[in-house]
Amino acid sequence: MQILVNPADELPIYRQIMRQIQEAIAGGRLKPGQKLASHRDLAEQAVIAPLTVKKAYDELEALGFIETQRGLGTFVCAKPPRVNLNDQRAQVRDAARRLLAQAYLGGLGFEAVVKILKEADRELTSGRQKEAS
Amino acid sequence: MTPVLEFENISRSYKIGVPVLDGVTFSMDEGEVVGLVGRNGAGKTTLLRIAMGMLVPHRGLLRVFGMSPIESPVEVKKRIGYVAEDQVLPPGSSIADLIGFHEYLFPQWDRGLERGLLDRFGLSRKVRIKGLSKGQARQVALLLAICHRPELLILDEPAGGLDPAARREFLEASIQLLNREGSAIIFSSHHMHDIERIGARIVLLDQGRVRLDMGLDRMREDVCVAMIPQAALRDVAALEQMPGCLGVREVYGDWHAVFDGDPEAVAAQLRGIGEVRCVRAPLEELFVELVGK
Repeated sequence: MQILVNPADELPIYRQIMRQIQEAIAGGRLKPGQKLASHRDLAEQAVIAPLTVKKAYDELEALGFIETQRGLGTFVCAKPPRVNLNDQRAQVRDAARRLLAQAYLGGLGFEAVVKILKEADRELTSGRQKEAS
Repeated sequence: MTPVLEFENISRSYKIGVPVLDGVTFSMDEGEVVGLVGRNGAGKTTLLRIAMGMLVPHRGLLRVFGMSPIESPVEVKKRIGYVAEDQVLPPGSSIADLIGFHEYLFPQWDRGLERGLLDRFGLSRKVRIKGLSKGQARQVALLLAICHRPELLILDEPAGGLDPAARREFLEASIQLLNREGSAIIFSSHHMHDIERIGARIVLLDQGRVRLDMGLDRMREDVCVAMIPQAALRDVAALEQMPGCLGVREVYGDWHAVFDGDPEAVAAQLRGIGEVRCVRAPLEELFVELVGK
């Protein structure tokens, strides 16, 4: 899977990696049991320090999303964790406020935002649906 | 474990009474990557030349692999790779000549790595230096600096004047070296994005002193810029003395204060003052806030 980092992003690079992998797991593009690139390979591919990738993998492992099997590599866990719903809800509400503010400033109405959300949902879950059909 | 590189209270002047370095202290462990940043004239090049044993400090103690590069120059230099800011390679020599010379100097020269880098950069051994672009000449300098697989790589503004694609290729080669050898790297650069990509720790030099020495991730998450209208706070000294304040500057009628703390905590700390906005900032913005006018 491709990881793209942006040094100008608000998040530090290791968090950008964590977020992209978590999103890929949530969207079904990374499936339980699937093998991830080694941290060295990912470092070369994304042109970032190997220690940064290792830090992202370590944190994801501590959170229970991925697991390292000695000598074999790093894999998506069979049952990635459920996230704390209260926490998650507050964060999503924050993100929704920012999203709506940006849309209204740009002259988009609420219905237009709903349409965009549906498109985004299709993009995020297309891998999963292909699997199901 | 002996640190790879240790500066202890290093001072150096070129003119009497005008120190370029004024008591620099920090050290680097094996495999660590340090981005050395600071304005032009902050002392970065002087510090790196001292680390190479090319300049003698007037005060302070320098250790490279636990040794003095002045007393044991050969022992130390065998284990270091260095690319200077304005490295001039002899224009009439071919790449093969220069490789031959380095191979002779460094018995541990790695031919596989050499071939891999020549391929990657698309360079032919027959070409003379004067026939190369600036970016290609830098790539040759990097190749010469890393094919003896140094434990410490010192890069002084290695990508100065390179286009973005050439800079990226340079970074890729450095990351390969990190991957293969776990070498420690200290590099100075004005390209903050490059530093964010491969650096893990930032040392900010300001007027010959270490202004900040901090892990990059911590800097991105736990350092913020507070923007305070001057109307709400007249006395800048009070702000500067607050716990966690790393520096204040004036920007069009506002104070911009860099604080060691996450935005929520700092906003709470400053709540009494009035309307204060606290934001996280990328390295480039923090750099400007800390050492800009």
